[in-house]
Amino acid sequence: MIQVKNLTKIYKTTVKGSSFFSDLFNRKYKEVVALDKVSFEIAGNELVGFIGPNGAGKTTTLKILAGILYPTSGQVNVLDYFPFDKKRSFLKQIAFVMGQRNQLLWDLPALDTFQLNKEIYEVSDDRYHQIVDELTSLLNAENLVEKPVKTLSLGERMKMELIATLIHNPKLIFFDEPTIGLDLFSQEIIREFIKKYQKQYRATIMLTSHYMEDVKRLAKRIIVINKGKILYDGNLKEIVQKYSSTKLVTVVLESKIDQIKLSSIGNIISYVFPKVSYKIDRHLIPEKIDLINRLLPYMDLTIEEEPIEEIIKKLFSGKK
Amino acid sequence: MLNTIRYYLRLYLLFTKFAYRTVLQARLGILFFMGAKLVRFAFFFFFILIIFGRKSNFGGYTFNQAILFYLTFNVIDTAAQVLFREVYRFRPMVLSGTFDLILLKPHHPFIRILLGGGDILDLSLLFPYLLLALFFAFKITSITFLSLASYFILIGNGLLIATSFHIIVLALGILTTEVDHTIMIYRDMTIMGRFPFDIYKEPLRGVFTFIIPIGIMMSFPPYALFGLLSPFSYLLSFVISSLLFFGSLKLWDYALKKYQSWGG
Amino acid sequence: MKKYFAIFSLTVKEYFVYRLNFILWRVRVFINLLILFFLWSSVFEKNPQFGSYSKDSMLSYIIYANIISNFVLGTRTPEIAGYINDGKIINDLLKPVSFFTYYFTRDLADKAVNMFFFFFELALIVLLFHPNIHLPKNIFFGIIFLINGVLISYFANLLLSFIGFWTTEVWSPRFLFMMLLFFVTGSYFPLDLLPAPIFYLLSLTPFPYFFYLPSFLSCGFL
Repeated sequence: MIQVKNLTKIYKTTVKGSSFFSDLFNRKYKEVVALDKVSFEIAGNELVGFIGPNGAGKTTTLKILAGILYPTSGQVNVLDYFPFDKKRSFLKQIAFVMGQRNQLLWDLPALDTFQLNKEIYEVSDDRYHQIVDELTSLLNAENLVEKPVKTLSLGERMKMELIATLIHNPKLIFFDEPTIGLDLFSQEIIREFIKKYQKQYRATIMLTSHYMEDVKRLAKRIIVINKGKILYDGNLKEIVQKYSSTKLVTVVLESKIDQIKLSSIGNIISYVFPKVSYKIDRHLIPEKIDLINRLLPYMDLTIEEEPIEEIIKKLFSGKK
Repeated sequence: MLNTIRYYLRLYLLFTKFAYRTVLQARLGILFFMGAKLVRFAFFFFFILIIFGRKSNFGGYTFNQAILFYLTFNVIDTAAQVLFREVYRFRPMVLSGTFDLILLKPHHPFIRILLGGGDILDLSLLFPYLLLALFFAFKITSITFLSLASYFILIGNGLLIATSFHIIVLALGILTTEVDHTIMIYRDMTIMGRFPFDIYKEPLRGVFTFIIPIGIMMSFPPYALFGLLSPFSYLLSFVISSLLFFGSLKLWDYALKKYQSWGG
Repeated sequence: MKKYFAIFSLTVKEYFVYRLNFILWRVRVFINLLILFFLWSSVFEKNPQFGSYSKDSMLSYIIYANIISNFVLGTRTPEIAGYINDGKIINDLLKPVSFFTYYFTRDLADKAVNMFFFFFELALIVLLFHPNIHLPKNIFFGIIFLINGVLISYFANLLLSFIGFWTTEVWSPRFLFMMLLFFVTGSYFPLDLLPAPIFYLLSLTPFPYFFYLPSFLSCGFL
């Protein structure tokens, strides 16, 4: 469905000079490499999480795939179209949900925007009513569609935005930071919705976020990008095994132990009596557990994987 | 083909309906705007009246002819505003990122950013201007059916030039981050067309006739009506407007490639 | 005193942030002047006299009227209406500067920038048209009425902006005001060319005192 090969995007911006005249006659340009020979492929019925810090190139990638931005070089093929051509048949199959930005007509009820999109995407009457009913019940939003958009809360508006964007039942959906700025409750609702939608309609979804929670809950496959380069493309579970060299060992102590003794076991991450957490190298686990058994009187001991957030952070800072 | 026309017509009506509903929410504002436009119209009308009242003139034209230049300007300018009001709202759309959402839609963006949101209120001014123009046109004894027909054809040509200018404004709205009032430059240049272009001397007249064809846009229709236009000038006006139109479309395509989608 | 200088220079700096925008603004002012000159030159082509004006006295009037109108009309007050609407006005009210003085200083900065560049544009026009400019005769009274005009303009503009306290419809009344101003202030033609009854009625409004009077005086017609 999506094939990207050696995609490069370079932004050229003017740098403000020091004086009035230098700006006019001697403009200086700054080139920012947003994407650097990015390649990946996505098949149908996949939900892919696209993660990276701010400025990594996530949004740029999505916008090129949706036809908004023109690639500097490389090949982009989405649904067998070159997206920038913006062919009508191409655009009718995709949708793009941008967090914090909406297409809802402000002064009018959301229903008016739905009907506008129905006309724009040429959705048949039957299909339209069916989709609106299905989506409003999935989101529990039947009572919201007739209220003027400006009277809705941010979370409610996001629900209406989702329905408006999906009226035409697209095959391919881009979600760019869909939960940003929302309260935890609304974030949960959006995540649930995306999960159910993908299952029910078998759409291909590309989701960007810098909330790990979004990605953990929704995506099996993730693509990690930083500074325009792909750092990892594969299964979420595998990334832990591949890149994590440490485990988190938490011990609940029975009685207070001397600090020096505690430190002798290993690298302490946190210590608030009675809980002490260590970061221990995988290979050393058996040895360290043995040490803990001998030296520390404990009530409970847990061994966990390094949190994914930490792994990703390591990827971003270039460690392995 | 017919389906496409019907599709865009339906969308045009929808966008205009929504724009109208939004505008209607500010009723007092409408009153002030209409009042202001009428005031402006009346003042220039009286200005020309005063000039001619003192047995003077400009460009050697009679009073009826001078008024016709002025009215033609109003017809074309108002028609352009009826059609292209949405262009004035384009910059905020680019800055906020709403423009992305429009690019994603399967219709051509122009139906939304160029034509969507036509100004119905200005339409109510257009008809009186048109009627007044016809009134003064018929007072001029030398007009024939042919000259009247060519008058309207050249008004259409003027609107084509206006369309091109507005497309250029849209393209500039994407290409430069610095110019917030590109459309105001267009307005300030077109007001040169309030009076017969004869009053301007070379090289200004040449620049504004051939390069930035305000002269063709505003003054050629009255010239045609008075029988002052040579066949060569007719040809020239169509060639220049076509060149400008296709040039503006090319500029738009270029602008889209350079679009960097800030905002959000 | 130092703080007013700071406000002044900061306002001036604001103009140069967007260079292209600034240049285009000046081009627009220039074109406006150009149209006026071409218009009146054309009128005087056939007749050497228009009312009580010769070509030179008319063009002199136009020059003075536009110098004065550019000076008097230069203002930053329209932004106040927007600030009232979105609440940013609170920032200005909380400052240890008198609100009126603050904005008057900003206006002075606007006028200064306007005047500085206007003289270059005017010089260009004079070069192109070679009018014989009548030297101002009554500078003293001209200046007094000029100061008066500036104050009238400032407070009228403030009044318009304060509409923002009652409604979000701030642009339309200002637009109407600008349209009225365009003519009744005499920047397009000297007001004494109007038929007598209309001229009399107009004299009862504050409009002519914006700048028709200062220019008229400068030309020495009083």
